[in-house]
Amino acid sequence: MSGLLEEAKALVAGCDRCGTCLTVCPLFKVRDVERSSARGKNALARGLAEGGLEPGPEVRGAVEFCLLCRACTDACPNKVPTDEAMVRVRQHLTDRAGGPTVTYRLVGAALRSRAAVGLGALALGALRRLGLLRLLPSALVPKEFPRKAFLAAFAGPAALGGEAPAATPGAHARVAYFQGCGMKLMFPDAAEATLKLLGGLGEVSAPDNPCCGLPHLAHGMKGTFLELARENIALFEEADVVVTDCASCGGALKHLADHFKDDGAWRDRAAAFSAKVLDLTEFLVRAGYRSPSRGERTFTFHDPCHLARGQGIRRQPRQLLEAAGRFVDMREADTCCGGAGTFHMDHPGTAARILARKASSIEATGAEVVVTACPGCLIQLTRAAEASGGRFKAMHISQVI
Amino acid sequence: MSVTTLSDELRLIVGRDHVLDGEVDRFGYSYDSSFLPLVPAPRPDVVVRPRTAEEVSRVMALAFAGGIPVTPRGAASGRTGGSVPLHGGISLALDRMTDILEVDEGNMMVTAEPGVRTMDLHDACAARGLFYPPDPASWKFSTIGGNVAENAGGMRAVKYGVTRDYVMGLQVVLADGTLLETGGKAIKNVTGYDLTGLFTGSEGTLGVITRVLLRLIPLPKARGVLRLLFADMDAGCALVHRMLKAGIVPSAAEIMDDVSLQAVARHRRMALPAGAGCCVIIEVDGEDAAELEAQCGRIRGVAEACGCLEFKVAQDKAESDELWAVRRGLSQAVAALAPNRLGEDISVPRDAFPEVVRRIGAIAKRFDLLIPVFGHAGDGNLHPSVLCDMADPAQAERVHRAVDAIFEAALAVGGTLSGEHGIGITKRPYLAQALGEAGVRTLQAVKAGLDPKGILNPGKIW
Repeated sequence: MSGLLEEAKALVAGCDRCGTCLTVCPLFKVRDVERSSARGKNALARGLAEGGLEPGPEVRGAVEFCLLCRACTDACPNKVPTDEAMVRVRQHLTDRAGGPTVTYRLVGAALRSRAAVGLGALALGALRRLGLLRLLPSALVPKEFPRKAFLAAFAGPAALGGEAPAATPGAHARVAYFQGCGMKLMFPDAAEATLKLLGGLGEVSAPDNPCCGLPHLAHGMKGTFLELARENIALFEEADVVVTDCASCGGALKHLADHFKDDGAWRDRAAAFSAKVLDLTEFLVRAGYRSPSRGERTFTFHDPCHLARGQGIRRQPRQLLEAAGRFVDMREADTCCGGAGTFHMDHPGTAARILARKASSIEATGAEVVVTACPGCLIQLTRAAEASGGRFKAMHISQVI
Repeated sequence: MSVTTLSDELRLIVGRDHVLDGEVDRFGYSYDSSFLPLVPAPRPDVVVRPRTAEEVSRVMALAFAGGIPVTPRGAASGRTGGSVPLHGGISLALDRMTDILEVDEGNMMVTAEPGVRTMDLHDACAARGLFYPPDPASWKFSTIGGNVAENAGGMRAVKYGVTRDYVMGLQVVLADGTLLETGGKAIKNVTGYDLTGLFTGSEGTLGVITRVLLRLIPLPKARGVLRLLFADMDAGCALVHRMLKAGIVPSAAEIMDDVSLQAVARHRRMALPAGAGCCVIIEVDGEDAAELEAQCGRIRGVAEACGCLEFKVAQDKAESDELWAVRRGLSQAVAALAPNRLGEDISVPRDAFPEVVRRIGAIAKRFDLLIPVFGHAGDGNLHPSVLCDMADPAQAERVHRAVDAIFEAALAVGGTLSGEHGIGITKRPYLAQALGEAGVRTLQAVKAGLDPKGILNPGKIW
């Protein structure tokens, strides 16, 4: 048995197959068969480890059919970390197959290269200006992302009838902004809004960081993930605080230390790095940020999985939104929107059905804007906003507070 | 019949999307929530998910013609292997049959399909002021069909009884596909044998339940929760015994021993007074606050006479929830103490509760294992949890012998093998010991009469 399967098996050892997870899994809600559920995936991990299942395309399909959203772990009486087990099983299957599938290899390579991400951002920016974004294959950029939609949805505070918030003096820490690939590629305006918020609180640097590596880790490219992690650790060594406006990056960076705990050369550096990572909302609340004025807009908040369950941050975004306008919580606010990294590209039909539930929760609040803190979620929510026919907009939190 | 043909025939009955025969799906329907090993997996050849009783009937007729084993399945949350397809064939998943068909307020009854989750059924009735009392700990995810098939119990059994006490009638598909209706809405009904009772708790070996008719009672208007701490299990058991003898019948009386209590205290960061070695959680219900207060006062009197160390009444809903959370958090707290946990389910006459707890203590000592005990003291149903590391072969051997000894102890004090989880696969070896040869032969005669080809859930009960 490979070490990875052994690890996966140990992670799911606490699963006593009761079925609690079946009631909370967003995938099980739209495809209610055993393999969708965490119980099914835990059993699959054990089946592989114990030799009861042969790895093949079907097994691979089943382990990739997971949002890694941790709703199951949250509800589980024994807190079984199914997502962590799945990451290991994916890595095992990838190693065994001699590498990831072509799609993941392409996406992985593109995100691996700072130049490629930069070029991609430039190219998307150009296409956006020309209104040509719809020409790209929808697998990489959602087709509902033409310039018009982009401008309508992400025009920033101006769209809310107010100016960008005025700066409030903050601490004198050396704050560095970690910009995720999603923010760079898809939401440059939101990233700019983040920088403005951070700049208003003091000096902020924005090193040209590479990808956080989460996509690589999730798809069996752990080697690349570790390389990227080392680059980032070194790049941000001078900073006191590393702030990110991407929930997934934040979650991944905060947990880097776990991956280096047996690496004598990097253990302490990784731990020091992870300890100084903060989500934007966490940082703003801690730094005493105050919205310049309270608007009349009604907001609701979609909790990104990697923020609510991944980092335990639920209160801060709500606090910020309550100060910026009227806030209404939605039903199942922390249920996955179906974005989940590349899940919405791999399983568009399933992702759309998960999103439809989310959209009806948003509409039930009557909120004009659904706010979130993760570019992956924002892509999905923008789709939902488009489909809602103008009933609500989707925006990143940095653009509305 | 080849597997491909079988799958094709089944697709004609239930539709293409509701027949699963890939490797991963067959594996996914090979287990339940029992402690049976996962590998080798007793895989079904095919999983079928019908939507109507008529579809179930056609599936059974097909299986009967081909002599194909059929294992009915709800949410697979059973603890004894009841829905494990031991002999392959068809896994008949009833989880798409999820309609509550009627809440008959006049007769105070509810009709539901088997795949309805028990808590959803409870909530739908409660919304109309009606109460479906059985609340197995699994009720968030277990299905009513599974509850009836296993005759599930729960925490409220001391006052309100178990699932069987509420089943008024069933629609059952027999082995050959025949649709049978039993019972009905008439409260008094002695026409012929009690077929409803026969199918309730039959563990899917006599027929497939496709509809249930359940009796309801008025929803109690007020509810209160108490936590009592004692020095040891004997004192806690004495309280339950004397309370019931005094005519005070709580809606639940849950007991836990020192290991369970310490585990849960650590898990929930709860402070306990020194010397507390047993905790009893009691729920009382009634018409109004005054009635609850009167009951609490009487319980307090009995508790003081039993040497109660601490008597706490929840003051509001939040406190009630917190006290219940202590009980509901038990399984996870206890499980966290060891790599493996074999949770057992035995049931004894109420007055034998302290004795069987003492015997289990002796068994733990004899086999050098940690066996915390908690359970439903009010009804004599207890759950000893053997904490162990099954990866250690020497220990695994001791664990199996300890489990045997626990069952022996239950039978020795006049108890039985299962209070609420059924026999399934895991308790088969002990059946004759519990029922006697004549008992087993009688059950088998019933089975042979209803399922002559032995295709319904083969390998279960005996």
